Amino acid sequence: MSASPSPATASNDAVARMAAAVGARYCISDPSEMRTYECDGLMSFRVMPGIVVLPGSTEEVARVVRIARELDLPIVPRGAGTGLSGGALPVPGCVVIGLSRMKKILEVDLENGWMRVQPGVANLDVSKAIGSAGYYYAPDPSSQSVCTIGGNVAENSGGAHCLKYGFTSNHVLGARLVLADGSVVDLGGPVLDTPGYDLLGVLVGSEGMIGIVTEVVLRLLRKPQATRTFFATFPSTDEAGNAVSAIISSGIVPAAIEMMDRLAITAAKAATGVDWPDVGAALLMDADGPEAEVENTADNAVELARAAGAIEIRRPRDEAERALMWKGRKSAFAAVGRISPNYFVQDGVIPRSKIAKVLREIEEMGNRAGLRIANVFHAGDGNLHPLVLYDANVPGQEQAAEEIGGEILRMCIREGGSITGEHGVGADKAVYMGEMFSEGDLETMSLVRCAFDPETRLNPGKVFPTPRLCGDRPGPHRPHATEFSGEAWRE
Amino acid sequence: MSVFSRPATEGDVILGARPETVYEPSTVDEAGEVVRESALGGKTLAFVGGGTDLDLGAAPGRIDAVVRTGRLARVVEHAPSDQIVVAQAGLTLGELQRTLASHRQRLALDPPLPERKTVGGIIAANVFGPRRARFGSVRDLIIGISFVRADGTLARGGGKVVKNVAGFDLPKLMVGSLGTLGLITTATFRLHPLPEEEVTLHLPGRTGAGLRSLVRGIKEAQLEPTSVVAAWREADRFDVAVRFEGFQAGVAEQRERLAGLVRGEAGGACEILDEPAAQAFWSRHDELRTTALLRAKLTALPGHVERIAGDILPGLLAALSNPGFLWYATLGLGFLAGSPADTDSAARAILTARERVAGLGGTLTLQAAPSAIRERVDVWGPPPPALALMQSVKERLDPQARLAPGRFVGGI
Repeated sequence: MSASPSPATASNDAVARMAAAVGARYCISDPSEMRTYECDGLMSFRVMPGIVVLPGSTEEVARVVRIARELDLPIVPRGAGTGLSGGALPVPGCVVIGLSRMKKILEVDLENGWMRVQPGVANLDVSKAIGSAGYYYAPDPSSQSVCTIGGNVAENSGGAHCLKYGFTSNHVLGARLVLADGSVVDLGGPVLDTPGYDLLGVLVGSEGMIGIVTEVVLRLLRKPQATRTFFATFPSTDEAGNAVSAIISSGIVPAAIEMMDRLAITAAKAATGVDWPDVGAALLMDADGPEAEVENTADNAVELARAAGAIEIRRPRDEAERALMWKGRKSAFAAVGRISPNYFVQDGVIPRSKIAKVLREIEEMGNRAGLRIANVFHAGDGNLHPLVLYDANVPGQEQAAEEIGGEILRMCIREGGSITGEHGVGADKAVYMGEMFSEGDLETMSLVRCAFDPETRLNPGKVFPTPRLCGDRPGPHRPHATEFSGEAWRE
Repeated sequence: MSVFSRPATEGDVILGARPETVYEPSTVDEAGEVVRESALGGKTLAFVGGGTDLDLGAAPGRIDAVVRTGRLARVVEHAPSDQIVVAQAGLTLGELQRTLASHRQRLALDPPLPERKTVGGIIAANVFGPRRARFGSVRDLIIGISFVRADGTLARGGGKVVKNVAGFDLPKLMVGSLGTLGLITTATFRLHPLPEEEVTLHLPGRTGAGLRSLVRGIKEAQLEPTSVVAAWREADRFDVAVRFEGFQAGVAEQRERLAGLVRGEAGGACEILDEPAAQAFWSRHDELRTTALLRAKLTALPGHVERIAGDILPGLLAALSNPGFLWYATLGLGFLAGSPADTDSAARAILTARERVAGLGGTLTLQAAPSAIRERVDVWGPPPPALALMQSVKERLDPQARLAPGRFVGGI
């Protein structure tokens, strides 16, 4: 990030006006209290905001946005702050708008399969609210017990089960949005196919750069009749990768299929006490749907795993055993903390047919740098999460780990994949966007952003590799963004 | 320009707009060249694939030239083990499906007229068929797009992997944009395996209430049909087709459970259609969605079916000769077809129905209509709340409004 001209805490005027808009207790301007908001889950990037405001309603969000605009302050929206790409990283002097107080479920319609929620509702609380009625919300990011729907919309969050069910963008039917000029607009809704451009599609995954979501209409699914899970061990990631390809090529659409390598298995065992053997790789697969279909699918998948060289196959005897298997998988990230003082999580995507080859290359990268790399990831869709282990106290290791992270992203691009499958571009990966997309592509995305936010006030410094201004809109003259002073926050 | 061109003929007229020239680029670069040159000359453009959905939208103001995508018809890449395909815009869906079928895969989109509909047209017109119930629509299956912007810039969004959140979702922006934001040249889709087995069950003579309880029953029983379509038969009666697809064992079990469910109802009837009978139902469905002079799309919630059947349909059907209506029961989407018996009463019936559907939170848009009806009824209906934003997107991407001007929602 670039330098800010001054440690820009908000002016007294700004504090007073924000306090009047949302109430003094929901307006934080003391630097020590703003510490929590300096970063999101990507803790290596920190910037002190100018002020943090916690509005409690759409109207309050709109008021805060209008004040920020009048004072020409940049705005950074924030959910639970669990993002891993610095998507909620403040810029100097900005107004952080935290949506954590807006956590009501507003409306539920099970017959028609939708729910209207405020953005601060935690992902898992959606499914919990309707679980006893036999319904659920499909996207299941690993952080689902804390991460919020507003953040999920911004990042187009995925999760293990999006292989079959899709991402947040496939499960958001509508949204109420506060735009950068403080106006409020509704996109979509419970009824499908609102005429016009699919702006809702543009919104989901736009990383807080086109509007602040204050209500979201989610699609709810009926729980599948049955779920079958199995855990398979392999001598190495080669055989495990081949098993994934064989299963998917056979016409099976698993609900989830996750891979862990030796190091990740060791870490998960240390953290959760799952009784997994020490092997080169393991797969955890869920198949779900109508009973007979699933029974057949799971049996076939097990056979294919065996044929691909599985050492051992375990099928849970009951729901408790199944839950433990998934707990092992889901805790693998944090578990790596048990075997290394520090680690760096990467998120990249490759075509799944290249898993075995790419994992070997990643291992070689680690060997060359003298660092260990654990892999635990969504194998079904080729979404890698290499965890580069290092010790920050050893000079040079942190930098080497970061360099490997970059090398992995470049390899993902080379193999026809993506620099992010679910963590988002944020502040962290903006520099790689120019390697994945052409100038024309980025300019087009920028034009779309400008259509929503011509002053680039919302979440500046994210996604785009170089600062971008919008230029004049055709038609009557409006103030150009460059006519405003205080451009320093634009990198 | 070295691009193939010819003078336009009667067949190139789009809703009354008569172009002078037709271009048929055979490479993406040529497509870029046509659009760039037209931009320099200030010419307005419309893009045509298979030409099956030219009735969609309002009549464009002026079209100087048409770009047809028929020579951009290659499968660029099919990676069966990654279950993705990259195809050029002019490739027909039928041709694409044949290529995919040789690897036991498909693009899970089943709009009518697959032999004429093209990849680009499918995206631009956001078309879908009954399988949307299970697989979603274009937005759920498209993962990458390349298009030529109004100024000739080539732009790409998304990628070739299903899971990808890098950058703004340009593929979704292009879905349903009716050629008003750019010329789609190439698209990438996620694929699904072809099912081992498929079966259609026929549940004749259900009322609106019976339809509603059927959909609830299907959900309650955790059945997962790939299509549930009700075809209006007479008065308050619908014939329903429910299709299951998948592995043999699963299909057989679901079929039996649905049959059991229906037999448990008073007067519930359910028959398993043999292949010719199933074909006949689905062909009739395709015909209803494509041939009538007047066609409209209704949206509401699945649970609104009784209101649709009771308060909205009778007036509409009475105003049409040879009327037909299809209801995608799990989605809440309906398709009306017929010929206006009398222009005034048909227009009045449409406007009344539109108002009532709006009362349910839904919309009624005309998908095809004689010009006399178009003069009385705005095909799009009242503009959506986000119209200003849509106009803003259009201004940014096509500042001179040269791409199909006036055809889209709210005069875009």
